[in-house]
Amino acid sequence: MESPTRKLAFNADAAAILIALTFAALIRLNIIHHITW
Amino acid sequence: MSAQTIPFPTAARQPPRSQQLLALIPGTLLLFAIGLAGKALESLGIFLRAHHHYFPRIEYVLWAIILGLFLSNLFTIPAIFRPGIATYELWLKLGIVLVAAKFVFADVLHIGAMSLVLVAIELALSLTVMTILGRIFGLPPKLTSLLAIGSSICGVTAIMAAQPAIDSDEEDTTTAIAAILALGALALFTFPLIGHALHMGQQAYGVWAGLAVDNTAEATVTGALYGDLAGRIAILAKTARSSFIGFVVLGYAVYWASQGQAARVERKALFLWQKFPKFILGFMALSILASVGFFSAGQLSSLGNLSKWAFLPAFAGVGLRTQLRDLVTQGWRPILVGVLGEIFIALITLGMVLAVYHHGAAQ
Repeated sequence: MESPTRKLAFNADAAAILIALTFAALIRLNIIHHITW
Repeated sequence: MSAQTIPFPTAARQPPRSQQLLALIPGTLLLFAIGLAGKALESLGIFLRAHHHYFPRIEYVLWAIILGLFLSNLFTIPAIFRPGIATYELWLKLGIVLVAAKFVFADVLHIGAMSLVLVAIELALSLTVMTILGRIFGLPPKLTSLLAIGSSICGVTAIMAAQPAIDSDEEDTTTAIAAILALGALALFTFPLIGHALHMGQQAYGVWAGLAVDNTAEATVTGALYGDLAGRIAILAKTARSSFIGFVVLGYAVYWASQGQAARVERKALFLWQKFPKFILGFMALSILASVGFFSAGQLSSLGNLSKWAFLPAFAGVGLRTQLRDLVTQGWRPILVGVLGEIFIALITLGMVLAVYHHGAAQ
């Protein structure tokens, strides 16, 4: 049986933290002014 | 949720990293397309109802899941999309880390600590009951261990963390994962109905969803389907539950090693750290920054909105990876053990949550 999940080519935890903190820094520095929903 | 610990026999010669990352693009675009279609359908519904036309009152969360379920269960998703669909895990974790901006750290500690106490009770009861059910229905012992770990802690993540630790068969692992995913899909549709029938508050329902629904993705969706606050509280409770993963997997690894059926764990502290879901550290860090006034109110609102954008493809991924046919093709015994165990866990956690909130301990 094929496994229903796949291995990612990168560490999702580290990538998630890195992307989140990068966006947080960009927003804090007002480089990104406003994100709407 | 994480797939990092599954050994792949064919992984001896992997393509270059750049090629692996390029392969993620089609599936990732599909996730976003489905998520955006879900959001567009919600907006279309609001517009049509405002102009006195009928359209189902369904939120984007459920639309994204329905569209994903529809595609993956009625059609065969081409192989080119599969690597990218796995990135739903990244978007889910990104959404969880970002949603921390909407929490005051004192609330994280308060609700998290309360959840930890409830999780400890839930763990002890659910591991025991699943083990008994597995024996009653004659499941292979390691499949029983995997189902017990998956249903008590963190679904797929816990099962995949346990697979190398207890040296279980690939087939047992696949069966356990398929059963847990299929049961998670059932929770999506039943929990909100029960919550509304019992007139549960957002916080109580969120804690219940976080404690009872196995996978972080499904727990997040099950909470979000009830309301924005319920979704965030479900993430918090689920995160507290996930933090136990290392201890439970270590316990099973030590047990199976003592039976001579798995390798001995030499460095237990390192083992615990390796199994610990690291994105929780990002969640804590952002919550602390948000609580000490590092961001303005507008910036916190932007981070909260960004978390919703991150959850959009994650919700689509929940639908896409759920194969409802697994409910019948995995054999009736693992599914029956899973269903009975899940009903038990849902009732026990519901009872605990209602007791805590009824007595005002969590107010």
